[in-house]
Amino acid sequence: MSNEYLIKVENLKKYYSINKGLKDVFSKEKSYVKAIDDISFTINKGEILGLAGESGSGKTTTGEILVQLQELTDGSVTFDGYDFADKSKEANRRFRQDVQMIFQDPYETLNPRFTIFETIAEPLKIFGMKDKDEIYEKVIEALEIAELRPAEQFAFRYPHELSGGQRQRVAIARGIVIAPKFIVADEPVSMLDVSIRADILNLLRNLRDKMGLTMLYVSHDLSTIKYLCDRIAVMYLGKIVEIGDVKEVINNPQHPYTKVLLSSVPIADPDYIRERIEIDDELPDQINLPVGCRFEPRCPFATDKCKSVDHALFERRDKQWSACIYTDKELILKK
Amino acid sequence: MNLLEVKNLDIDYVTKEGNLKVVRDVSFTLKQGESVGLVGESGCGKTTLAKTIMRLLPDNGVISGGEINYKGENIVTKNKEEIRKLRLNEIAMISQSAMNSLNPVYTVGEQIIEGIRSHTNMSKKEAIKRAEEVFAIIGLEKKRLKSYPHQMSGGMKQRAIIAMALSLNPSLIIADEPTTALDVVVQDKILSQITEIQKQTKSSMIFITHDISIISELCETIIVMYGGKIMEKSSSKVFFKAPYHPYSLGLQNAFPSILDIDKGDLISIPGAPPNLMGELKGCRFKERCPFRTDKCMEELPELKEIGEDHQIACHYPERVDEFREESKKKETWQMVSDRIINESKGDA
Repeated sequence: MSNEYLIKVENLKKYYSINKGLKDVFSKEKSYVKAIDDISFTINKGEILGLAGESGSGKTTTGEILVQLQELTDGSVTFDGYDFADKSKEANRRFRQDVQMIFQDPYETLNPRFTIFETIAEPLKIFGMKDKDEIYEKVIEALEIAELRPAEQFAFRYPHELSGGQRQRVAIARGIVIAPKFIVADEPVSMLDVSIRADILNLLRNLRDKMGLTMLYVSHDLSTIKYLCDRIAVMYLGKIVEIGDVKEVINNPQHPYTKVLLSSVPIADPDYIRERIEIDDELPDQINLPVGCRFEPRCPFATDKCKSVDHALFERRDKQWSACIYTDKELILKK
Repeated sequence: MNLLEVKNLDIDYVTKEGNLKVVRDVSFTLKQGESVGLVGESGCGKTTLAKTIMRLLPDNGVISGGEINYKGENIVTKNKEEIRKLRLNEIAMISQSAMNSLNPVYTVGEQIIEGIRSHTNMSKKEAIKRAEEVFAIIGLEKKRLKSYPHQMSGGMKQRAIIAMALSLNPSLIIADEPTTALDVVVQDKILSQITEIQKQTKSSMIFITHDISIISELCETIIVMYGGKIMEKSSSKVFFKAPYHPYSLGLQNAFPSILDIDKGDLISIPGAPPNLMGELKGCRFKERCPFRTDKCMEELPELKEIGEDHQIACHYPERVDEFREESKKKETWQMVSDRIINESKGDA
């Protein structure tokens, strides 16, 4: 059976225990920060999924679990037929080769004492490549793909000689040099100047188009998600509140939280009058989460019914799922 | 009368390798109640300019020429004590990631009250009252004055910092990327609060950011800086409809928009900002400009008037239609990218 998707996440949970003191050892009641609370989604081969949300929504944790930087608490993740529960050496090795991560801060993720060549060659050496000429060739090829030209010159520079955008390209070159199938990019452009962000976004898109890479793009910036991604999942306090085709979600948001997020983005057009949705900008306590819908305390459309609903996703439009119990029409009427 | 008048300002950083010419020949004015947005890439001198108005340059920063006239008095020649009196009372700054500058071992209230009292003759009681007032304006409960910084979220801390800056009703607010570290929802709310307060108190504002969409919503005037010089200065209304300078045109291509206008692919400006060390010849943007000529390589363009309140520093304002057309094409910028690669090959 051939499956369309590369990654399937089912009922994923990540809880952090906050019982630390001696007193807590003897108490039966355990409290947790529920960073991710029962989320499911799939990413198809060659697709870029954008994960949006505020700080504390669990989007970065989701990304880190998908590259196994963190252990999951409950649920299952399958990657290319490989189950995360499989801890065999062979499976692990294959996984590490197939999945790579690109981090937010290109100033801190490169070793300042390594030349660019050494940085990019390291993963090759770890995966057993010994032939020096072959390593050199691969590194130059990766630099070319990351558009660091002339590659032969960049290879022997140190990170401090490069600009932020160039460093991020090095990080990308390091990520793709062992030909992974899947990349998690966590806010890869948020540290960069807006004028060079476009280049990095175009590069990521080219990687997908030319190398068939699948990607999870984690960001709080909806306009970059709209530019780069095929689908978007919006997270709020550990839950997915809306998921669907990126253009559809951004043009026709169904969940009140998505509407709020979109109404908060400034528009570079002085004549455009933005309709602001006023809400409380503080997140609720993450340990004692709101009962019922998690967005209810801040939601401008909330009713009493919202305090007792269980989280569920409803298909409101074609392949667009929202966790709000009300349809878009009902929400508009309530205004 | 203009509240602030910056005239031919030059700022240098003195280093072992020579002087870094961070800001050159920058002039602009600010009326009472006006807000101006300053945009540009990292290293273009926008933060240095802001710090200089507050006279907060680091030890190796030198004002090597020009004047900064605030309410008719030149700030550049003032001594330390005179400057101290100006700060917070007259000019206040909300700096980038200011929320990390709160002292963790004092409550937020103590820090605000200390600021108020060291700049006025207020009694402690009056200062507390004032702190409560500004907290109310910025949307924080007054019990938060007793909180320590670690007990507050990022948005609250940034609000506390803004409250501190506004505590003495300054006539000029300098906001240096005040919301970059915050979530969109929080950012949006804080920005609308800042503008609200600015309108109420009729203070002027210099708003520094690299996100031009914020400027389009907040500021009447936009100043685009590049390599320590002003490239274009215009009213926001005109600028966002029809920018003139090739650098501004490039910036416009690079911005993703949330609106459903399909601009096609984003194009960024190839290359990196110029090294401001040593002798600088010609236009600062020449390395990255797709339209440069021999004249641009040799001669620095002056900032000149091309319309009402609209100035640009380019030798070819009359070719703007052609520039606008060409700058929309990918090939135009690809040519620049290839040119940069070829030039760097020549260096090696």
